[in-house]
Amino acid sequence: MMKTQLLVVGGGPAGLCGAIEASRYGVETLIVDEGVELGGQLVKQTHKFFGHEGFFASVRGFEIARRLKNQLNHHVKVMLQTTVVGIYEDVVVLYNREKDRTFEVQADYILLATGASERFIQFENNHLPGVYGAGAVQTLMNQFMVLPGKRFLMVGSGNIGLIVSYQLLQAGAEVAAIVEIADRVGGYDVHLRKIKRFGVPVLLRHTIKKALGEEKVTGAVVVQVDEKFRPIGGTEREFAVDVICIAAGLTPSVELAAMANVKIEYVPELGGFVPYRDQNMRTNVENIFIAGDLAGIEEATTAMIEGRIAGLTVAQSIVGTDLSREIEALQNELVEFRSGPFSEKVRKGLSRFFPQRTVEFSRQPQTDKGPVGKLRPIIECYENIPCNPCQTSCPAGAIEVPGNINSLPRIDYEKCTGCGICVSKCPGLAIFMVQENVEPGFDLVVIPYEMVPLPEKDERVIALDREGKEVCEAQVVKVLRFPDMTNLIYLKVPAGYSERVRNFRTLKRGNVLVCRCEEVTLEEVERAIELGFTDYEELRRYLRVGMGMCGGRTCRSTVLSILSQKLGKSPGELLKGRFRPPVMPVKFESILRGETNED
Amino acid sequence: MRRIVEHPILKAKTARTVKFYFEDKELEALEGETIAAALIANGIDVFGESEHGRPRGFFCAIGKCSSCLMVVDGEPNVRVCITLVKEGMRVQRQLGRSDVV
Ligand code: SF4
Ligand code: SF4
Ligand code: FES
Repeated sequence: MMKTQLLVVGGGPAGLCGAIEASRYGVETLIVDEGVELGGQLVKQTHKFFGHEGFFASVRGFEIARRLKNQLNHHVKVMLQTTVVGIYEDVVVLYNREKDRTFEVQADYILLATGASERFIQFENNHLPGVYGAGAVQTLMNQFMVLPGKRFLMVGSGNIGLIVSYQLLQAGAEVAAIVEIADRVGGYDVHLRKIKRFGVPVLLRHTIKKALGEEKVTGAVVVQVDEKFRPIGGTEREFAVDVICIAAGLTPSVELAAMANVKIEYVPELGGFVPYRDQNMRTNVENIFIAGDLAGIEEATTAMIEGRIAGLTVAQSIVGTDLSREIEALQNELVEFRSGPFSEKVRKGLSRFFPQRTVEFSRQPQTDKGPVGKLRPIIECYENIPCNPCQTSCPAGAIEVPGNINSLPRIDYEKCTGCGICVSKCPGLAIFMVQENVEPGFDLVVIPYEMVPLPEKDERVIALDREGKEVCEAQVVKVLRFPDMTNLIYLKVPAGYSERVRNFRTLKRGNVLVCRCEEVTLEEVERAIELGFTDYEELRRYLRVGMGMCGGRTCRSTVLSILSQKLGKSPGELLKGRFRPPVMPVKFESILRGETNED
Repeated sequence: MRRIVEHPILKAKTARTVKFYFEDKELEALEGETIAAALIANGIDVFGESEHGRPRGFFCAIGKCSSCLMVVDGEPNVRVCITLVKEGMRVQRQLGRSDVV
């Protein structure tokens, strides 16, 4: 039998922060976690966090996990690959998978930070391998660097759906579409903009109807829904994808809390069944605390603050030092974080447990676009989210998030020196720089870029707009590398385009051949499809692809698969067309419209 | 192979490999990865079959959904998403609930 003063169940942001605070005051702490590594979901977060500096704003998730781990001191013991199998009146039973044995622990206090599990949704064939929770895809690609497919369909447009979509693009995958059953996107606008710039379509009022495939996913059928979320017959569309990623929300993992006699209540605004707790994160059971997603689905920042509050409260009880001022400061921090429109639901849910306060913030967006001709940032951040690294990163003090971190940032162009630091620091990648007339006939646009390969100086690229559509050619005039991997690409664009260009793609694929005999490149095939050649035979005549000596043996299937990816039809469907010419000619325009009209 | 070789943010943690067996086929895994990650990297998506003969695979990756149960070194019901792969390990698809619960 082991003894510990504090047992922390779950080594994610909430549990780690609880352990950090308690151990700071000398409380003997044991952290138990099921995973193979401490950090919980942070270890698979490659994006930078919002919030403010005190809570790691603009630091990437896996880096936050590393820093938190380093803050644990010698009062903390860690058991990984270990599950809490039961909480009884006087003892907690653990099972360690690696040693294949159970342990008994007696703890004076328990902090439950068990997190949440992914919500599963109902559609035909949802059991097929290839249907993954969004978190699972993240684990695979960001923790283990394995990409389970080439082309993904994302179901759900909350922050997780948007973030994972962006991370899929970073890992080199394709996101065929994001479907969202509601009539608006659930996640932050800045996250949405990041993926739109790569042309990923977001289909609102759509849901998945069916996964295709026998042994594993080969496609998905998506359908439009009416106001009551009922599928509208005849609106089905097929996407050729090999992974369907479900980001439909999270449910708190309350099993252990319930087992420990904590009162569980149904509060839909907090994610479903949640344990009761007070402002100090204490449950109705005197020595049991909760924190993080278990206490209500929110974000890592609030999870960390909750963990700290719980840890300090436990330390206060054990050590006897008065920590109420520190605790109160953190509670005020939570009030501030939760004052924005995004936390409305959470506030409503929490008001079931204790009264909620909010603080004021400004909703005034910046209207001043700055002096034409000067190299200056343009901030495209229009939503009141709790975030201010733009302000804290600016060495010239030119950016202000007035009053409260939920306010919209404003910039004083008089003070700005055009250094670009804010552009690289903004976790939403929402800041760009422009300069008109940088040389006769040309403007300059500076783009934050987190993709590979990085372009080189003087390289010619295709400039894209906010929707990922091609607008013009551009030339890379400077590549500014930053150690945290948000690099800045300086693009020279034709005069007048600095208002539109917000992304680019490289032309490197010009060397990728599809048809060896006729030397047709991937680039050419893709462009032809964009021009409206949507049929294999048409493409053949237009590009001469497949007309060489090999008789199309090498390239036919490749062209079909490119077509299938671009048009969202299964290769099966396209192949049928090849053997059976269309009975009635269809305009390319109409087909293309069918593909894009619900964006 | 489905390993990500080039990534704007991440670097591969290790290049040390271990050998393991999937249904008697020898495969390579990276040290420190889960059995599930190793299988998927090797192109194996079907981890077993439900009692009703439906193919099953990876779903939650964090040990919560029990969709990834496999037979590892003769032991059934191992959640391969949170179990590390080891040199010489023998991994088999689990059919139904298997004999032992
Ligand atoms: S470009 Fe530099 S000086 Fe100007 S607002 Fe951004 S960080 Fe401040
Ligand atoms: S502009 Fe400022 S407030 Fe908006 S996402 Fe970027 S850093 Fe945050
Ligand atoms: S994939 Fe869910 S328990 Fe392993």
